[in-house]
Amino acid sequence: MSLLEQRYRSVLRLLPASYRAEREEEMVSAFTEMSGEVPDEVNPRPRWGEIASVLALSVRVRLGGVGATPRAFAWGRAVRLLALLGLAHQSMYATSELIGLAHQFTRGTDHQLTAGQPLSFERLMSIAVLAATVCSAVAFAAIVRGHVRWAKVTALLGAAPMVVYFVVPMVLAGYSGDGPLTEATRLALVLLPLAALLAGFHSDFEPTRGPWTLALAPAAAGLALLGWPGAALALGLRDPEWIYMWLDLGMVVAAWAVGATVVLARRRSASWALALSAAGLLLLAARLPALTNLPAGVEWAAVCVQCALLGTLSAALAATGLGRLPAVRSAPGP
Amino acid sequence: MNMTEPMFLALTALVDEPRHGYGILQEVDRLSEGRTQLKIGTLYGVLDRLSAAGLVALDREEVQQGRLRRYYRLTDEGARALQEEAARLAATAHAATARLRVRTAGGAA
Repeated sequence: MSLLEQRYRSVLRLLPASYRAEREEEMVSAFTEMSGEVPDEVNPRPRWGEIASVLALSVRVRLGGVGATPRAFAWGRAVRLLALLGLAHQSMYATSELIGLAHQFTRGTDHQLTAGQPLSFERLMSIAVLAATVCSAVAFAAIVRGHVRWAKVTALLGAAPMVVYFVVPMVLAGYSGDGPLTEATRLALVLLPLAALLAGFHSDFEPTRGPWTLALAPAAAGLALLGWPGAALALGLRDPEWIYMWLDLGMVVAAWAVGATVVLARRRSASWALALSAAGLLLLAARLPALTNLPAGVEWAAVCVQCALLGTLSAALAATGLGRLPAVRSAPGP
Repeated sequence: MNMTEPMFLALTALVDEPRHGYGILQEVDRLSEGRTQLKIGTLYGVLDRLSAAGLVALDREEVQQGRLRRYYRLTDEGARALQEEAARLAATAHAATARLRVRTAGGAA
């Protein structure tokens, strides 16, 4: 076996074993015919383009779309659902932040949602992050309406300033935020749904056009996010400390717990269970730092309840999802 | 199914005779006059999708100099899909040509 063939076979290890069992010899045959006789002395390597094509094939095979094995399709659907959940989460915050900002402008008060002095770098980055959040909302609507390319472009635009906002200060001056776990979690909440979007919605996935009601659902949830404090006051829940821990991220945790319970009770979809489990672990990572930051009391107890819910339900969802995955079968044959 | 350019070219490469992987790569290169050079990972992704849709099928297997060669052929359904896509592309090209003719005539007048 020549050195080039040996190296190409190593590249093919990116593919799942079941796929290699079906296709490896055929792909190696095509590669060696294409490359011709190359002596080992010139230290040959497969070109980057060939490696990239195998990597892309590996993603498409593992996160299946049309024509994939049921197991690969279930994994692919789980990743696509995680992307949708992440973008929906960001859309919800975009709506509530925009409405809050508009409210402050119309009242003539100084807007607190944009940090720093006017014309400062901090203010500029703060506005860019806000604009980026809106891009994430557009990305969610685009993907629900079947516009995959638009969704990917706007999601990338949405993530870029946030990465700059978090990474640049960390590189220049060490982390100065709320702690490395908190900063890493904030980045993960943005980057993981983006990675899921880019990997899961590949060329073998055929997009469908969902209804506008679904595309705009996170915006409605964003309104609810703003409306909940008012509703609590109207209900006469005057200044209870615990209620603050069920606002904002707490509301998301509560909504997630309801969804997780429904999925566990129905025990049908492996993809939903796996996607919600991954989302739950992300939310848990986002919630955990509050345990160390809060003094012992009612608020701390509320966060404990949330973390316990997130941990136990995520584990149950993962077990259910993995258990209900379709059995391993060979890759689609020739 | 949304037919991409690599899928269209791979189907076209199989119209006259069954071909194996490298044979399809060579024919696509010839058909596109060197503009499209499929990578092997891309080609097998395309073949997976066309096989799953029933547009191509395995014709035969051969072993040459210890190497496995699988030959693929165009199915009747594949020929129909290719014909429809070719007609659609031809209509678009015809419309473009007609508009360019009008533009050229307008510029000359």
